[in-house]
Amino acid sequence: MNKGLSEDQTDALQELANIGMGQAGDSLARIWKEFVHLSIPKIAIVDASRLPALIHGFVGDTAVSASRQAFHGGFRGEVLVVVSAKDRNGLANLMGYEGQLDSVEREEVLLDIVNLLGGACVGGIAQQVNAEIGFSAPSLIGEDIDPLDVIHPDQLAIDKALSLEVCFQVENRSLTAHLVILLPNNEVGALAELLDQFLCTL
Amino acid sequence: MADQQNPQLSGFIVERMELGVFAVDSSFNIVLWNHFMHTHSGKSWESLKGTNLFASFPELPESWLKRKIEHVFALGNYAFTSWEQRAYLFRFKHNRPITGGVDAMLQNCTFLPLRDAKGKVELVVITLQDCTDNALIQQRLAEAITVSDEERRKQQELIVKLEDAKNQLYQSEKLASIGQLAAGVAHEINNPIGFVNSNLGTLERNVTDLMKLMAVFESKETELPKDTQRELSKIKKEIDFEYLKEDLAALISESKEGLSHVRRIVSDLKDFSRVDQSGWQIADLEKCIDTTLNVVSNEIRYKATVVKEYGHPPLVECVPGQINQVLMNLVVNASQAFPERGQITLRTGEEGMYVWIEVEDNGIGIPPENQQRIFEPFFTTKPVGTGTGLGLSVCYNIIRKHEGDLIVRSEVGKGTCFRILLPIFHGKMGESEEIEFANSAPQ
Repeated sequence: MNKGLSEDQTDALQELANIGMGQAGDSLARIWKEFVHLSIPKIAIVDASRLPALIHGFVGDTAVSASRQAFHGGFRGEVLVVVSAKDRNGLANLMGYEGQLDSVEREEVLLDIVNLLGGACVGGIAQQVNAEIGFSAPSLIGEDIDPLDVIHPDQLAIDKALSLEVCFQVENRSLTAHLVILLPNNEVGALAELLDQFLCTL
Repeated sequence: MADQQNPQLSGFIVERMELGVFAVDSSFNIVLWNHFMHTHSGKSWESLKGTNLFASFPELPESWLKRKIEHVFALGNYAFTSWEQRAYLFRFKHNRPITGGVDAMLQNCTFLPLRDAKGKVELVVITLQDCTDNALIQQRLAEAITVSDEERRKQQELIVKLEDAKNQLYQSEKLASIGQLAAGVAHEINNPIGFVNSNLGTLERNVTDLMKLMAVFESKETELPKDTQRELSKIKKEIDFEYLKEDLAALISESKEGLSHVRRIVSDLKDFSRVDQSGWQIADLEKCIDTTLNVVSNEIRYKATVVKEYGHPPLVECVPGQINQVLMNLVVNASQAFPERGQITLRTGEEGMYVWIEVEDNGIGIPPENQQRIFEPFFTTKPVGTGTGLGLSVCYNIIRKHEGDLIVRSEVGKGTCFRILLPIFHGKMGESEEIEFANSAPQ
């Protein structure tokens, strides 16, 4: 993110993410018939090289599971969801799984989590700034891995990333998910423009 | 979008393309069912139109699929399934009945929200892509990679083992040849020492006899003519006869002493290397310690004071040459543990069915993180080229093959104590030793 986002744009983004996630949480609560609690998303723009430390900072010294999903359209990028390994099965039966999960079902749950939360967040933002966004199938980064191994900055083609931390909880099932949105350097401008257009309509 | 472009064409594509397409409304009633779905499921659009998906296909995983579709209705987002986690949504026959090796078509599914004019999700369209061919290739690739990774790992292990074995072999060969060389030299020296010793004995007797004769001559000297007396006295002075008499005896006795020292070294070397008597024997461990100390005395004399605290344990069945080697390693190691001069204490004792030997130094000690590793082959803290890191691992091997134990106790700054435990009885008497690293010296 060469130019980065202005303070106004960052505030707007945080608000949009909050509304988007809030609407999603509301819809999910209605399906699940359980109370969904969402923290206000915390947005920060960080150097790509700091991402491993950031993710480690989110979860601490615990094994994590991580998955990613690409999106394209009005703005392009990838969304990454990191959950601590112990939380992984928290949502499984809300997602219609029955009984004990086998290893591939656990993977599927993880992919569904990134799909739900990434879709809720990025999709929510896109909808409010009137951008058409499509999603590719999610893929797995790893299960029970070291938080420092989720992202290897030397494999990234960007120097800045948008980090969005949100705590997602369903009554007694705790699932704290951390989202990181990765935008290619040249896509930040597109997002900034969409945010500006949105701010003009206010 | 379809009706904005060419509804007929779009409709044709949806109907006939090689991709399953169907759609349900929010009550899970089927509202679209294309040709692909028809062919593979055997059920036509006409027969399914408006029916409930789960009533028409009771084999579907209802609770999970319902939730998945509900999420798409509620959030308006895409959803996916992948053959890697969920082989298929519908159990269709796959397109490779003969060469496939799988029992059903592997599918990737995409769930797409279709919104009405107000933006509310009206339908969920599900596409179903046959991934069997790709999946098979991917699976085979993954299997091949796993196999080749496993093979590579095994090869790596073997290479390490080979290197290990090569080094140990090299080391044991080297040590064995040093031992043989020493024993050979000792044997060669033994012969000349034998006759020198015997000659020295004769020489001593002859000198004594000569001296006896000289004494008589001297007592009769006054009876000789004055001129002769003067000549004798001159020569006596020239050769310092009085000193010569004393020195002759001293020279012989010192030579005998020196010779006996040489004999002891030779015999210790032979004892130590045990070329002439390898194999399991009943041995006195305290004698082993003494022999070893004699052999290494030069090495340690200027570095440490040796204190012996012997508890006179019973004789032990062992391969003495190898126990000597262990002791030598431990004593030489201990002597290297002092920044300046230190003390090495050697203790022996008996404990149940075991005899123990302790080699203790008051040197720098071993840090706890290294204590776990000191018996590993090639672990060394000495500068490159100084130690091979094999000494203690060889010791450990020898003691383990004696069914004993080698235990280290150490505190940084206080010192280190190695305790050797050896079973008194093995029942291997007379067997040739089969333990590696025979006849060896410390590294």
